[in-house]
Amino acid sequence: MPPEVMIQCDNLTKRFGDFTAVDHVSFSVEKRSIFGFLGPNGSGKSTVIRMLCGILEPSEGTGRIAGHDVSRETDEIKGSLGYMSQKFSLYDELTANENLQFYARLYGLRGPAMKERRNELIALTHLEPYVDRRAGLLSGGWKQRLAMACALVHKPSVLFLDEPTAGIDPVARRELWDLLFELSSAGMTLFVTTHYMDEAERCTHVGYIDMSQLIICGSPDDLKRLPAVNPPGTKRLDVTCDHVTVALRAVRKLSGIRASTVFGQSMHLLVEEAMSEQSIRDALGGVGIHEVDIRPIGPSLEDVFVVLTRQRAGGRS
Amino acid sequence: MFTMPKFLRGFRAILYKEFIVIFRDRTTLFFMFFPPLLQIVAFGFALDNDVKHMAMAVYNEDRTAESRQLVDAFVNTQTFRVVKEVNSLAELETMVRRGKAYAGLQIPPDFTRKLRAGQKANVQVLIDGSNSTTALQALNTALGVGFQRSVSILLGETDRRELPVEVRPQVLYNPSMRAPNFFVPGVIGTALQIATVFAAAMSVVRERERGTLENLLVSPLSRGGLMLGKLVPYLCVSMTMALFLFIILRWVFFVPIHGSLIMLCIAAFLYVFALVSLGLLVSTRAESQNEAMQMSMTVLLPSIFFSGFIFPRETMPWIFYAFSTMLPATYFIELMRAIILRGAGFLEFWRHLLILAVMGGVLFSLCALRFKRKLG
Repeated sequence: MPPEVMIQCDNLTKRFGDFTAVDHVSFSVEKRSIFGFLGPNGSGKSTVIRMLCGILEPSEGTGRIAGHDVSRETDEIKGSLGYMSQKFSLYDELTANENLQFYARLYGLRGPAMKERRNELIALTHLEPYVDRRAGLLSGGWKQRLAMACALVHKPSVLFLDEPTAGIDPVARRELWDLLFELSSAGMTLFVTTHYMDEAERCTHVGYIDMSQLIICGSPDDLKRLPAVNPPGTKRLDVTCDHVTVALRAVRKLSGIRASTVFGQSMHLLVEEAMSEQSIRDALGGVGIHEVDIRPIGPSLEDVFVVLTRQRAGGRS
Repeated sequence: MFTMPKFLRGFRAILYKEFIVIFRDRTTLFFMFFPPLLQIVAFGFALDNDVKHMAMAVYNEDRTAESRQLVDAFVNTQTFRVVKEVNSLAELETMVRRGKAYAGLQIPPDFTRKLRAGQKANVQVLIDGSNSTTALQALNTALGVGFQRSVSILLGETDRRELPVEVRPQVLYNPSMRAPNFFVPGVIGTALQIATVFAAAMSVVRERERGTLENLLVSPLSRGGLMLGKLVPYLCVSMTMALFLFIILRWVFFVPIHGSLIMLCIAAFLYVFALVSLGLLVSTRAESQNEAMQMSMTVLLPSIFFSGFIFPRETMPWIFYAFSTMLPATYFIELMRAIILRGAGFLEFWRHLLILAVMGGVLFSLCALRFKRKLG
């Protein structure tokens, strides 16, 4: 049995006057996937989400959620999708508990069913200590959990999260991702926009949008195997040493270095296959760096996006 | 269990939430209640154009019993009080010019002599005309005093004891012609209007600005459910405010309520319904709180002038008159005056009530229809 497609876009396009915010974007997301949607600010991420949630009319193309057209079958998609917007969409004057109850009522839950669902969500998001606190007084991380709980109130099969981790602390960020994996293993399809590459690495699939166009889409592993990212006759090396910035300058003088960047305490190099480790050690020795650790690595998602964005910019000019 | 029809889906969720938000958001509540209360108190006191005890300076060159009687006659009208006796015409003029006196009375030295000789005795009254209301009253009173003196002298010269013609005016409904009785019912109309329209418009626009509206749009909430859920709480708040204003009318300004309280409440309810609907209609189009403010103002500002609140509608140019027939405030203010002052009943004013109800119904349907379930 082929996997069930939960989100499908075909040439999805949105124009605001002369400006094309989303330009013929096509992709599909299978059930249980965590689809990471990346791209710079203003590249059209939120616009795609809004169209898929049925609150923004596409100018062209179609979007489908669980087989239902997002612009024509709005009522059908509402029950199956959850949406956590960038601003968290909470009512500051209401307590956490009241916010949850509000969204539960909005989705037609009431009485014991509402209370039961509320308790489930409080347990899932560990909101218990804060249920009676006003949403406006919660910290960013707790607001985000509450918003998450609100978005899950009707057990949606597809959940859209628009930059859920923007501006929250690392612990809350990790816990959110744990929660996302839990949801996906329970059968939910997740669509997450983010700026963080480490978050992208955790996704089962990623799409990269730049200047309103979808540049690439696939699993992180597939993307890293793209020929454009691994030009024939090259290899990637991680070089760990002291004084990386000095080292980088020295290494860049060598012929055979295709690309180089600092990565924390080390450098990531794209070099020609034929290039020997010794030539790098020699170059570094020349600037007084002798303790050097070199090992081969694969490309990161960041490498993938950098290569593809550059390629595209080159193609345009 | 009772289930909501489809067009009201989400009504109860919005209703509960809105009530909580209104009572927790003290600032909004304050700005809803404070301005109308301030308005009614300020207008009630300031718009009191019963001009009494206006400052008057007197330059009495005659200094006789007769001339002093004339001054007393001026004072006895209660329109004037003597603030100063001056000693020259120039001083008299200065008093008026400086605003120390609204009127100046000059009695020439030959006043009594001419009076006794049966000649025409002239008296000069200077009136500060910069405020037309006070000037008019000063003028009428001064002429009245002169006329009365003349008539009583003439009567003394003939055998007649009574005036040949006597007009006996009978002022109905507001016999003492107190201005608050006329103005305060009108102020209730304008005071309710501003607070209600703003509050209702803001409640939706704020959701748009905060981003919560997006989540409402994603949910199965219907337009009717949203609008009705917003309407009911604001209707309650505005009705409470209307009751406050009625209490102030009755026990602060002592305006007697001649009509039935039930009529008063029905009128207020229909009016507030139209106002909340108007506010919600504004909110369906306004993107920001500023825009909502400006849009509401274009409706509210003219209604202060054209609703008959200050200027009688009957004397307006036809275009303003026509415009005034489209304002809910026009009907409400007429209803208030009719019910409070004249004790009018349902049969005399059902048309006004019907018009308000229709206005509210049309405005509310419009906002439920015009509200876009999609973003920009």
